[in-house]
Amino acid sequence: MDLILVNLIDGLVTGLLLFMLSAGLTLIFSMMGVLNFAHASFYMLGAYFAYSISIAVGFWMGLLIAPLIVGVAGAAVERFGLRRVHQYGHVPELIFTFGLALLIEELVQFIWGKNQLPYSVPDVLNFTAFAISGNSIPAYKIFMIFISVGIFIGLLYVLTKTRVGMIIQAALSYPRTVEALGHNVPLIFMGVFGVGTALAGVAGVIAGPVLGTFPGMAFVLGSIVFVTIVIGGLGSLWGALVASLLIGWITTFAKSYNIEMENILNAIGIATPENMDENLFRDFWSITSPQIADILPYILMVLILIFRPAGLFGKRTQ
Amino acid sequence: MSDTDPRADIPKGMRPDEQITTDPTKPQQRMRAGSLTMTLAPWIAAVVIMMALPIVFDNNSSLTIMNQMSITIVFALAYNMLLGQGGMLSFGHAVYAGVGGFFCMHLMNMSDFFAALPLPLLPFFGGLFGMGLALIIGSFSTRSAGTVFAMISLGVGELIAASSIIFVAFFGGEGGISGDRTYAQPFFGVEFLQQQEVYYLTAAWVIISAALMYAWSRTPVGRMANAVRDNPERAEFLGYSARWVRYYSFVASGFFAGVSGGLFAINYEILTEENLNAASSGIILLVTFLGGVGFFFGPIIGAVVFTLVQTVLSLQTELWAFYAGTLFLATVMFFPGGLAGLIMMHVPAFKLGKAQLLVMPYVRTLIPAAIGILGLCALVEMTFHYRHAATGDHEMTLFWTTFDSHTIMPWIIAAVIAAVGIGIARITAPDLKDAWNEANTAGGKK
Amino acid sequence: MSVPALELSGLKKSFGKAEIIRGIDLSIGKAERHAIIGPNGAGKSTLFNLITARFAPTAGTVKLHGENLAGLEPFQINRKGLSRSFQITNIFPRMSVFENVRCALLWAQGYKYSFWNIVSRQRALSEGADAILDEINLLARRDLPAGMLSYAEQRALEIGITIAGGANVIMLDEPTAGMSNTETDYIMDLIMRVTEGKTLIMVEHDMGVVFGLADRISVLVYGEILATGKPADVRADAKVQEAYLGAALEAEH
Repeated sequence: MDLILVNLIDGLVTGLLLFMLSAGLTLIFSMMGVLNFAHASFYMLGAYFAYSISIAVGFWMGLLIAPLIVGVAGAAVERFGLRRVHQYGHVPELIFTFGLALLIEELVQFIWGKNQLPYSVPDVLNFTAFAISGNSIPAYKIFMIFISVGIFIGLLYVLTKTRVGMIIQAALSYPRTVEALGHNVPLIFMGVFGVGTALAGVAGVIAGPVLGTFPGMAFVLGSIVFVTIVIGGLGSLWGALVASLLIGWITTFAKSYNIEMENILNAIGIATPENMDENLFRDFWSITSPQIADILPYILMVLILIFRPAGLFGKRTQ
Repeated sequence: MSDTDPRADIPKGMRPDEQITTDPTKPQQRMRAGSLTMTLAPWIAAVVIMMALPIVFDNNSSLTIMNQMSITIVFALAYNMLLGQGGMLSFGHAVYAGVGGFFCMHLMNMSDFFAALPLPLLPFFGGLFGMGLALIIGSFSTRSAGTVFAMISLGVGELIAASSIIFVAFFGGEGGISGDRTYAQPFFGVEFLQQQEVYYLTAAWVIISAALMYAWSRTPVGRMANAVRDNPERAEFLGYSARWVRYYSFVASGFFAGVSGGLFAINYEILTEENLNAASSGIILLVTFLGGVGFFFGPIIGAVVFTLVQTVLSLQTELWAFYAGTLFLATVMFFPGGLAGLIMMHVPAFKLGKAQLLVMPYVRTLIPAAIGILGLCALVEMTFHYRHAATGDHEMTLFWTTFDSHTIMPWIIAAVIAAVGIGIARITAPDLKDAWNEANTAGGKK
Repeated sequence: MSVPALELSGLKKSFGKAEIIRGIDLSIGKAERHAIIGPNGAGKSTLFNLITARFAPTAGTVKLHGENLAGLEPFQINRKGLSRSFQITNIFPRMSVFENVRCALLWAQGYKYSFWNIVSRQRALSEGADAILDEINLLARRDLPAGMLSYAEQRALEIGITIAGGANVIMLDEPTAGMSNTETDYIMDLIMRVTEGKTLIMVEHDMGVVFGLADRISVLVYGEILATGKPADVRADAKVQEAYLGAALEAEH
């Protein structure tokens, strides 16, 4: 029972982190129709900038400043890069963001080197908050949850209760109409892209110490984020939330409980073959849930695509 | 009634109203002739070139590079069946090449079967297995096009690549699967021990595959693939299911990707997880796009150029991937037609016989620009060395000069070269623009 | 009484709460030329989209030659002999004019998804395409990229592609939209020639074209058909005059 609680918390942390990334991605996609392949790269930049800032003026300044820098960088990318490519269509836009992701990865290695950086949890948070039957829950994880939830509430408030938020919601569906009403839609696009990438940057700042700060971090998380929004349904914020939490919990529970394929197959009546070493399917028989925990999201995505192609909450594509 | 014909100064045969008929003796007009010679000429030239290359470059490392190019050419052409012909962007295409290759490696290790199989047939099996995987995956992934298709391809690609660590029996785990190509049935006495023999086998397959893929683009399904790419709705109202057209293209592309996997198996005699992963998929996207997706020969150029960058440039600098990434991004932003697009941009000027107008302006603009870029690269290299070299190691070598990267002089020199080069290029650029317009307009001064 | 070429029964379409098509019953006979007119926003394009399965109806049926089209995809409906053009020109701009028409012939000539025929070697295809180009008078523009044609030429090409496959029920969505008088006359003449003996359903705003071409017309207002019948009868109908034609007709004649 207690193990379940621990996994719930761990899964929540992962899920909220995923949501921070997939929310920004969804906002950008809904508004501009472009799926930002480099979104996780901004997450990475957030972590790297935060590291450099933190060794100069401390973690908290990093948390404050790094997302701002990332947001500005994102806005600049939209203004000088994406806008140029926009005229060629969606596929070139996607290829552009892919090239950007490549370049950012190379740039990061150029500036900070290829090794993992010692970006670590600030001392003030480096203690155990509480323990659940022997499993200690670090205070930092609670901190991560608070920050994530705080940001969502802020985002929800801005989107639903402020004027800017309403204009953004309108521009999400009918950019030309909004433009005709006199609003500066290109500026809104730049702003949304900047905010979306800043969100990714925040995720990087807080996740860097826990998940590791290294050049491959963008790709590792990035592909899971894309899977998340396909599962949730492209363009749906609720879908992104549900899918993120789902994936966070599924992967955490799979890693923590050692469920063996052999047991499952036996349970449904298939007997274990005699000579396992020679058997063609020996790998399949010996699968355990921790082994496949990381690819469960992909399997889920394939299943959703076969049975419910629009995703859980997706709008039917025209 | 004017007494001078304003067209008199245009050479006969070049005037706009005379362009309908062709004069086959004029090289500029040969491209319009629809004769059989025209269609076969590039292919015959390609065969001749490929047969001559190992005689010109006969050392082993050159042969290895050429083989690598050949394998990449087949893969890139297969990829372009999807991207350029079909408008489908896939981030996970390496799995079809990889799985085809892995199956070939297993065939190599089935000693009885393999001893009876002539090696030249092996890539065909690679193609069959690549096609088999594409048949399965395509059944649900080709329902959509565009962004959704791209994301699905990414997810499926990652799924298969990640599974490769789990299914050790098929994928060989960390060490991959290796084999020996010389145990095949000798082919007219050839056992393929020599690199040169492998080269000719690979070259033959490249020519055959390219010819088949070109033919595909000229068939009903190939033509409709273009139509579906440009206007899927219209294609539906012509009686074609956009979904099925995409599916068939996908399967055909999977076949040729598998062939490239088989060629890889023959050449390197080992397949690993690296052949399946997203990096390999990303590279083939880069290669194809860099070469140019709008023309059949684009991916071929991309494959050749990228292989050279990867093999030759990587010996000169640690930052070759950074340069490749920058070049790729520049291509997407400034010349999305790729290198092939850049070349074909000059066709109108050639047809009008005015291409020579461009030579001097190009020299005056491109050469300073190239020098300026080299200056920038020098600065980049020096910055990298300054930041990342071991402490105390101040010496670096660049452009055949050795110097201390911690002194100010090399930086100033590089900065000056960069500034001057780019500065000159900017000054002469308007002249190039004028010359370009001139070269592309019929009539006027010669 | 032979089977009507196209029969709509109780056809309804709502987008969310907005009911665009409110129940349409219409029967169009073989080889009939039928025009659908109505003010902007009446739902004419939606009606076209319902018939050609771009959208699924909320209620009601569409029957082509007596066969219910429910659940079929656009390409399946096309194969059953119904072809449409679009209000916003919908051709393949990067292909040559010739190739545009040739693509339209591929399925009709039975090539399906063949990958063993080279299209340029097929005489029947090339000759067929050239014949159609001749009919729509675009033979001189044969090798130009279709995107480079003038607006009227593109509309003509659009019609050419629509009829190329040999469909016997042709639906044209505002074929003369945005054209000058000369161009309109030209297109009208073209339509008359190429739809000889076929069923034609046309959405049009230009009354000259409607009265010149149509055997019968229907007036669509707010998603319902106000009246159907011979042009002269509809013109005289009081309801129609009140709702729509009134002043416009006076101006025309």
